[in-house]
Amino acid sequence: MTLPLAAARAPHIDWAGLSPLVALLGGAVVVLLVGLLRPALVRERVVPALSAVSLGAALGLSIWQWDERKSIVSGALAVDDLAMVLNAIFLVAGLATVLLSLRSPAAPGAGHGEYYALLLSAVAGMAILVGAQNTVTLFLGLELLSISLYVLCATEMRRATSLESGLKYLIIGSVGSATLLYGLALLYGATGSTDFAAMARALDGPGDLVTDPLTLTGIGLVVTGLAFKASVAPFHQWTPDVYEGAPTPITAFMAVATKAAAFGVMLRLLDVALIDAASDWGPALAALAAVTIVVGNVGALTQTSLKRMLAWSGVAQAGYLLAGVVVATRLGVQATVFYLGVYLAMNLAAFAVIIARERETDRGDDISALAGIGATRPWLAWPMTIAMLSLAGIPATAGFIGKFYLIDAAVDGGYTWLGIVIVLGSMISLGYYLRVLAAMWLSDAPAVAPGTPPGPEARPVMAGGSPEADEPSTQPELAAVAIAFGAASLFFGIVPSPFFDLARDAGQAMGLL
Amino acid sequence: MGLSILIWLPVVSALIAAVFPRELTPRVALGGALGTLALAIGYVASFERGAPGLQFLTDETWIAELGIHYKLGLDGLNLFLVLLTALLFAGAFAWANRREWERPKLFFFQFALAETAVLGAFLAQDLALFVAFFDLMLIPFYFLIGAWGGPGRVAATTKLVIYTLVGSLLMLAGAVATGVIAARGEGSVTFVLSELQLVQLPEGSQNWIFLCFAAAFLVKMPVFPLHGWMPDGYRAMPLPVLAVFSAVLSKVAAYGFLRIVLPLFPEASVHFQDLMLVLALLSILYGSVMAFTQTDARLILGYSSVAQLGFIVLGIFALNAQGAQGALLQMVNHGLVVAPAFFIVAVLAERAGGSEDIRDMGGIALRAPLLAAMFLIVALANLAMPGSANFVGEFLILLGVFDAKLVFAIVAFGGVVLASVYTLRAFIRTMHNRTGERVESRELALAEALVIVPLVGAIVALSLYPQLPLARSEDSVRASVRTAAAIAEPPPAAPSTPGGPAAPGQPVPPQGAPPAQGGAP
Amino acid sequence: MSATTYGWLVLAFPLAGTVVISLLYNRLPGRTAGWIGTGAIAASFLSALGALFMLLDHGREERQLVGTLYDYADTVGVDAQLSILIDPLSVLMALVVTGVSALIHLYSVAYLASDRGYSRFFAYLNFFVFSMLVLVLAGNFLLLIVGWAFVGAASYLLISFWYRRATATSAGIKAFVINVIGDVGLVLGTYFIFKHTGTLDFLGTFEKVPDEFATNDGDLVAGCILLLVGACAKSAQVPLHTWLPDAMEGPTTVSALIHAATMVTAGVYLIARMHPLFEQAPVAADVGAVIGCVTLILAATIAMAVTDLKRVIAYSTMSQIGYMVMGVSAGAYAAGLFHLMTHAFFKALLFMAAGSLIGAMAGTQSLDRMGGFRRAMPFTFGCFVVGGLALAGVPPFSGFFSKDEILLLVGDRGGWHWILYAVGYAGSLLTAIYTFRMIFRAFLGDPVPEARELEQGHVHHAGTPTNPMTGEEEDTDVGFPGPEHHIAERSLPMKVAMGALAVGAVVGGVVQIPHVTEVLHDFLEPTFSESELYEAHPSGGLTAFGLALGAVVALAGIAIAHRVWVQRPGTADRVRARLSGLHRVLVNRWYFDEAYDAAIVRPAAAVGRFAQQTFERLFVERTLMGGATGIVRAGSSAVRAAQNGFLRYYAALLLLGLAALAFYFLLAAT
Repeated sequence: MTLPLAAARAPHIDWAGLSPLVALLGGAVVVLLVGLLRPALVRERVVPALSAVSLGAALGLSIWQWDERKSIVSGALAVDDLAMVLNAIFLVAGLATVLLSLRSPAAPGAGHGEYYALLLSAVAGMAILVGAQNTVTLFLGLELLSISLYVLCATEMRRATSLESGLKYLIIGSVGSATLLYGLALLYGATGSTDFAAMARALDGPGDLVTDPLTLTGIGLVVTGLAFKASVAPFHQWTPDVYEGAPTPITAFMAVATKAAAFGVMLRLLDVALIDAASDWGPALAALAAVTIVVGNVGALTQTSLKRMLAWSGVAQAGYLLAGVVVATRLGVQATVFYLGVYLAMNLAAFAVIIARERETDRGDDISALAGIGATRPWLAWPMTIAMLSLAGIPATAGFIGKFYLIDAAVDGGYTWLGIVIVLGSMISLGYYLRVLAAMWLSDAPAVAPGTPPGPEARPVMAGGSPEADEPSTQPELAAVAIAFGAASLFFGIVPSPFFDLARDAGQAMGLL
Repeated sequence: MGLSILIWLPVVSALIAAVFPRELTPRVALGGALGTLALAIGYVASFERGAPGLQFLTDETWIAELGIHYKLGLDGLNLFLVLLTALLFAGAFAWANRREWERPKLFFFQFALAETAVLGAFLAQDLALFVAFFDLMLIPFYFLIGAWGGPGRVAATTKLVIYTLVGSLLMLAGAVATGVIAARGEGSVTFVLSELQLVQLPEGSQNWIFLCFAAAFLVKMPVFPLHGWMPDGYRAMPLPVLAVFSAVLSKVAAYGFLRIVLPLFPEASVHFQDLMLVLALLSILYGSVMAFTQTDARLILGYSSVAQLGFIVLGIFALNAQGAQGALLQMVNHGLVVAPAFFIVAVLAERAGGSEDIRDMGGIALRAPLLAAMFLIVALANLAMPGSANFVGEFLILLGVFDAKLVFAIVAFGGVVLASVYTLRAFIRTMHNRTGERVESRELALAEALVIVPLVGAIVALSLYPQLPLARSEDSVRASVRTAAAIAEPPPAAPSTPGGPAAPGQPVPPQGAPPAQGGAP
Repeated sequence: MSATTYGWLVLAFPLAGTVVISLLYNRLPGRTAGWIGTGAIAASFLSALGALFMLLDHGREERQLVGTLYDYADTVGVDAQLSILIDPLSVLMALVVTGVSALIHLYSVAYLASDRGYSRFFAYLNFFVFSMLVLVLAGNFLLLIVGWAFVGAASYLLISFWYRRATATSAGIKAFVINVIGDVGLVLGTYFIFKHTGTLDFLGTFEKVPDEFATNDGDLVAGCILLLVGACAKSAQVPLHTWLPDAMEGPTTVSALIHAATMVTAGVYLIARMHPLFEQAPVAADVGAVIGCVTLILAATIAMAVTDLKRVIAYSTMSQIGYMVMGVSAGAYAAGLFHLMTHAFFKALLFMAAGSLIGAMAGTQSLDRMGGFRRAMPFTFGCFVVGGLALAGVPPFSGFFSKDEILLLVGDRGGWHWILYAVGYAGSLLTAIYTFRMIFRAFLGDPVPEARELEQGHVHHAGTPTNPMTGEEEDTDVGFPGPEHHIAERSLPMKVAMGALAVGAVVGGVVQIPHVTEVLHDFLEPTFSESELYEAHPSGGLTAFGLALGAVVALAGIAIAHRVWVQRPGTADRVRARLSGLHRVLVNRWYFDEAYDAAIVRPAAAVGRFAQQTFERLFVERTLMGGATGIVRAGSSAVRAAQNGFLRYYAALLLLGLAALAFYFLLAAT
């Protein structure tokens, strides 16, 4: 009985390489089950703890797998530094999200188990996506992450906007996924392979596949699909609505992790599989990047909802990141990865502060919620300040180095004009980042938050004089997240070398020069 | 190491000050500023005159991947600007000590951060580092104006920051491009100025990069017609902040031309020479005309600064040693003049019932002879009265322009005359004539005198011995303009000076290019 | 001690005086400040004498000594040092300046006794003397310019000494600005010369001039003419003279010192000092001569018409300096400087006498209100007459010799210089007339009430002090000579000062009588050694004719004045009625001020208003900033319009983008 089993050689499975995924998916299952238990304590304390544990475990395992360069699951997944660096980003984002969600109304709304399980599976989806070595895995990962997020967006069931955002995301997302799928199919048709390496060989090989309409249409569709995920204009429009509607912790997670995932896969697909068609998609993407930068920044200018503002700024940042992809050089990859890391830090800090103010004031995510916290809540104001300066790319913050690196890559890759567009975008962006600073530091009563007409909910507060008097104190975990990531944005602005090492490793992982 | 202490001392001492009880904070911060001043004086004293290149060098790799170094150094170009910065910030801190500020810890932290950034920009010997400090300068001022400023502060500060950062960000792009393009060919990217100077960029890229840097610097100065942020900004700034802002930040920009633009983009500098000279002239004339139509004392000084900076640009883009030397001296002079001038405006306003409009002043001199004397000296220095160091500066500037482009020099002299008109107008309307109805003439209080008198003393000292900075800056200035001058003044013009005393000092341009018109042709 | 050391001392004393007085301004009892100031200048005068003797010890050849203190601005080819040049010319100037200044200080000790700004006045006055000495002792162009501007500043401070008078402050700013124009001319001129010689040092420049410049070299002519601009501004020569009459706003002693004896003669000194340049550029020199000539006649005509006592003397000063400028430009260096010296004596004397007279009139300056003071103030009358005779050029008074020697040498040049010669004598006729017009109208005729009051032994006091120009009431804090008035008859210091000058005015001429005593000529010879014009010796016949003609003209003038204002009092009015047009032109001073106002001041103001009210707002604010922000705003609103929240629109845009992308790729394919 045992012989045939022995004879039928089961495929060799590299558990080590797979371990982070296992940790995540396993964690998801466990969390789901534990979530079924009665006691509130279990649901409200143990479940998050467990999810944190599984994320932490996955993080540890990813670090354990550092500097490996292998492909597992018969070449479906790559375990290399690019994957690991991006994994680290997802996992950190996930951990932060867990912390931010602790007392959010979303988790109980959906049931704690489900909420956290979905979060974990989303992270798993991202891990698969950025590890993917062939189009099938790619799509698998994409759907896993997307579907989880569709649901997560709608978890605040008592809030109509939450449901709306979930629905919008679902519908538009499906369109995007469909486009991508179609594009992948065309590419398969053109190159006769689903494997990235093979595709690259095919494009490189005899017969000018590179100029073949089939290939190019495929590329076009694929680019569209990915651009959608990365909220690149003109495929960005779901972003503000969804970000605004979704529960803020989820918004934070999407803003950071989804973007990282999308760009990770872009790097894989464009800078590896389709590298030889770079001359074709390069200019197109550059144009998209420029449009995105402009649209995102001008869109953010007049927003009074911080979440919407960050959504738009996220669009703009996507434009900056795209510049790194466009140049299709190792420098570009490194700059992109570096910026993704920076982006994580500064956005999470900002969102943590927004969440904190959402829970402390009755002004939701309106900019007036920040009015005067420079004096009353310095521990929130400083991280927010650093985050905003960093997003604006002011020196001594990580954002400055990141932008510097991206411009460096753009100029080096022969896209000097794109570098100029980046700085032009940054100029416009000051318009709204400074408004946040002004609200925090330069105005005391909410009503005088500059640029924002006092919302109806703000008026009684100003009448009542000091609004902070009856506010609850900041929830420690939020302050912790804000401070941690704010500090990171500052620290890596002054000592960026660690990030550079990560970026370099990630860059070497890919065959580029 | 040493220079790092100089740079970071202010902000560190401000952090220490934040630990102290709030009523002590200002004192401690002032201590820090004075310490910085002492350090700066020490450097000037121990500066080795005539030694080639940079002194007190600090050179650490900051970001290896981008070839960015944390490189600081002193030479003739920045020596006295550093001293000026330290001196004026010390003065401003002392002035700020005269009154209560709300949230004093934050105020003095931001103020000190500003000083650190300015010093950093002056000392940076790495292009990226310079850009970083240059952009950083603005942030503390954003808060200082926005949180502690006067009417319309938030609008003004936003306008100011965006307006000036527009230039700075363009400069960022330009700087990156410089590094990358220079690295083409021989591999590794570097932003260290001394190494960038060895590479000549193709003229095409030089031109657009030059424009980026020019945008940054001209806005910061500001030069006509890029001064749109100035009036609101000046009106809104708290006075001690305004004093250093007007006196020092504009100099960082002018200094940038000498430190970076001329050596790195000589062809472009020559290519755009006329444009820059025209802008400079327009600033001189426009600034002067505006200055004698204003009645707001701050704006009179503001527009007079526009005119003065016009002279500085004029000198720089004479593209010869005299012009640059004069411009450099004039930077120090203007700083020394404008800062006490603003303090005096504050003093006058206190005596004119709080109004800063010269129509509400008049006859203040009566019981304040000391104040009157101080103001008179400042005023005469401001109109570049011969005998003041400002005159020496203007003399050299105009001599340089005279040699380079006669016509510009002659028009510029119109500015000299106008300067005497608007300066005396301000002096007479405030100190002389019939007494304004809300005016009560009081002598300088001790605290006020302790700030103003030393600064005026510095003006007088420099006027008696301008050779002090001139002797130390000459070599660096020559080095800075050498290449550009060599291109600007083609060989045929060079002879006809068998033995002008300038001839020995002629800068010797690299790779056997013809000698520049250093002195008299 | 060497001559240069004395030179430095000459500078040191007045500076020390300034510093001491201004530091102790409020601790000095009574008239101490005045005495300190006077003492400082006196000491300076003695040092000048010391320098003189030291200089005379040297042989004729080495009578040009340079003393250097330290490098002032020695960089990038500019060689400016803190150096003084001690030579006969500078020593002569130093002597005249310090000597006259000392006496005027002495006079002021009493004259301003009751002024609120007593010590401030002497601080300023000492500072002025210091500046003037810097100017005359300067050893290089830069220092010359420094002194040049310092005297301008000092004169500004003293003109608007009574700074509560709007008239005084505006006169001050006018004087300052015109002087700055002069400075600019000087600097620019320096550039033109430096461009070739490459040195700022005087002696170095003069050495280089012959080999660096051909005769009438373009740059040199330009340079010299620009130097002339400086000279004109400082010496109130046409067309930059308009500040001088207004400068009479200052205290009378200031007018005596700065606007008669010393500062205004700087232009003459400058031309004399720069003679090597001017001789290399004869064109420029001729321009100078013509300017001087025009000025002397123009000013004389105006002096005939104005009725303000001080302004009459001011215009006569302009006119006399016109003589000097004409002289030195035409190569009559010694004569010009000689006239400078004698003029310093008698003009200072006239102003002092006028001051005393105005004191008696309690501040009133109009000739129309004066009369019959002869008996009331005999001493003042005497001094005024002596000064008047010297000014009119009646032998043997000092003015006679100096003025006539100028005209003599000018005429000796021959050619078109004869015109200048003739105009010169016409001028001196007018001079005699307007001088004695003053004397007759102020001192003869029936006494005015003030005179009577004085004869009763009491100086008149105005009830409420008013500004003589505008009649507006004085601010008694400042801006007002003080409650009491001082007249020579009543105070010894004033008497002494005026007496000394009177002596100078009478006998000053003997130092330089043609063919008899040529002391001054010989003394100055080293400075002008290499000048060929210097050795010109006109024939005895021409000399005799000139002297005779001068005497006749002067006496004729006095006779005319006597006839018009004493014998037939009504005549003046009849003439005025007949020549009303001319008279209007003259009282309006040939409409120079009006012309400048229309041509420069108002346009400039208009431009300023336009810039401030229109340009700044429309261009800088709206176009530049509004434009940029406007574009961004438009984009922002467009984006927000697209962001309408309807899925179908999003999908549509998505597909559009997709289509565009696909289209692009298909294009790329083909």
